[in-house]
Amino acid sequence: MTLTRAEVDHVASLARLGLSDTEKDRLLGELEKILDHIARLQQVDTSALAETAQVGDLVNVMRADVPEPPIGAAAALRNAPASDGSHFIVGAIQGDDLDA
Amino acid sequence: MTPRTVTELAAALRDGSTTPRALLDGALAHVDRTEKDLNAYLAVTRELAESQADAAARTLEEHPDTASPLCGIPMALKDVLCVDGIETTAGSKILRGFKPPYTGTAVQRLFDAGAVCVGKTNCDEFAMGSSTENSAYGPVGNPWDVERVPGGSSGGSAATVAAGSVPYSLGTDTGGSIRQPAALTGVVGFKPTYGRVSRYGLIAFASSLDQIGPFTRTVEDCALVYSAIAGHDPRDSTSDPRAVDDPLASLHAGIAGMRLGIPREYLGEGTEPGVRAAVEAAFRVLEAQGATLQEVSLPSTDVALSVYYIIAPAECSSNLARYDGVRFGNRVERASLTDMYLETRDAGFGNEVKRRVMLGTYALSSGYYDAYYRQAQKVRTLVSQEFDSVFHAVDAIVCPTSPSVAFPMGSRDDPLSMYMCDVVTLPANLAGIPGISVPCGFVDGLPVGLQVIAPRFEDSRVLRVAHAYEQATAFHGVDSPYAGEAA
Repeated sequence: MTLTRAEVDHVASLARLGLSDTEKDRLLGELEKILDHIARLQQVDTSALAETAQVGDLVNVMRADVPEPPIGAAAALRNAPASDGSHFIVGAIQGDDLDA
Repeated sequence: MTPRTVTELAAALRDGSTTPRALLDGALAHVDRTEKDLNAYLAVTRELAESQADAAARTLEEHPDTASPLCGIPMALKDVLCVDGIETTAGSKILRGFKPPYTGTAVQRLFDAGAVCVGKTNCDEFAMGSSTENSAYGPVGNPWDVERVPGGSSGGSAATVAAGSVPYSLGTDTGGSIRQPAALTGVVGFKPTYGRVSRYGLIAFASSLDQIGPFTRTVEDCALVYSAIAGHDPRDSTSDPRAVDDPLASLHAGIAGMRLGIPREYLGEGTEPGVRAAVEAAFRVLEAQGATLQEVSLPSTDVALSVYYIIAPAECSSNLARYDGVRFGNRVERASLTDMYLETRDAGFGNEVKRRVMLGTYALSSGYYDAYYRQAQKVRTLVSQEFDSVFHAVDAIVCPTSPSVAFPMGSRDDPLSMYMCDVVTLPANLAGIPGISVPCGFVDGLPVGLQVIAPRFEDSRVLRVAHAYEQATAFHGVDSPYAGEAA
């Protein structure tokens, strides 16, 4: 199992983590070590096993489609880093922002 | 004798020997005196507690017979549990100043019962860790030796009960985060069956594993708190609608004739000799109570750790995507949106959180999904099947809670060695089954925990076995050096 520095860059970008080069170098070593340990999983024969996504036996939990009082704009915006009282405010979304 | 358990305090409140205000004042004074050593709290909620104590006093005055046993009794909440208008940080810088707009269900049920919330307790950032050293607000001291960790991630909730500031607290357990700190601080810690306690209002770490549960000084108290928080909640779609049986009804039934299994893999080489000796002595106590003990095998224990460290990081990488500096939490202002995301998350998250987000994102990424995430989900099925098969032969499993006693702060700086702390607790999370840790001895003055695990929805059985053991021993009655300093 060899993780490359390019993969670390890619994963950091997917995870939207603006890591420094020092952090990426450190993580490369740490993640490699963890992945080496986890590799033993590949030796388990799982050909006859279904996947477990959740342990409960509940499926498609629904409720009646009845409107309930909403939380309200004031409460929803109370923790916003920037708002105008009725919207969350973010910087302009420009071309490159939609990449990665 | 000074009352120190919920049961004793409830009696004292009713015979007039104390009041909710007096209990609260004692708890606050105790926290004041011990915080410089313990750092168990991220916030003391004095105003909230005073109003709750006054309301509880009125309830006890007007309805002494129908008031909950929890009415008027101080408690604390792990800082991943939302309380309306009270700062909730999950031990992370990114949520500094966050005040939730609502109160979670488990917490609301305690408040409705008359609980008095003294404060929010310190924890590993977003509950990721086994020592509480990953808190962005400094580590928590273990009341038995403040140079050592209290375990984690619910270290503050464990430490405050062990110190004797409050008789109970709530924590959360994703891979052992209630049971392991309970073992390392000498208190009772219970992770109920997945689905038994609503997670509405819990800041999510790994949603297929997270469960809320209590820390207490006795198993009876644990059953009381569990009864108050358990039960269906339509606001959590994973909450189970099955009726909850009353654990107090069978608590004293004893364990004569019960078949208990000891998984040989749970007493492997990594187990410290002192822990092994204490747990083996506990097995003899259980036998003396009439239980039959036999060795069983859970062959996938070793790979369960690998399963956990794929599934938990994968789920956390998804759950933590919401911390993007837009709707809540802190933001690093940048001209472009992408730069704002990148800088906000880099500045807001600590090292362990970043490590797990990276690991989880990797395991879910194109080209690795099948080899890691899907394979882990399949082996998770195997882990559950092995428990099912063991539970055909035995009624419950008994084993250590942690391979080691509390370790010195800073001694496990390698992530993998920290992950090993959870090797005998996390399989129960993968299978969604209930587990408890109960004090079973000491090694050089440091507590050891006995773990009891049972099939899904057999929460009452877990409590019954733990209670039978506890009543036959005196370890739960030994106070840490910080206890008894109450006013």
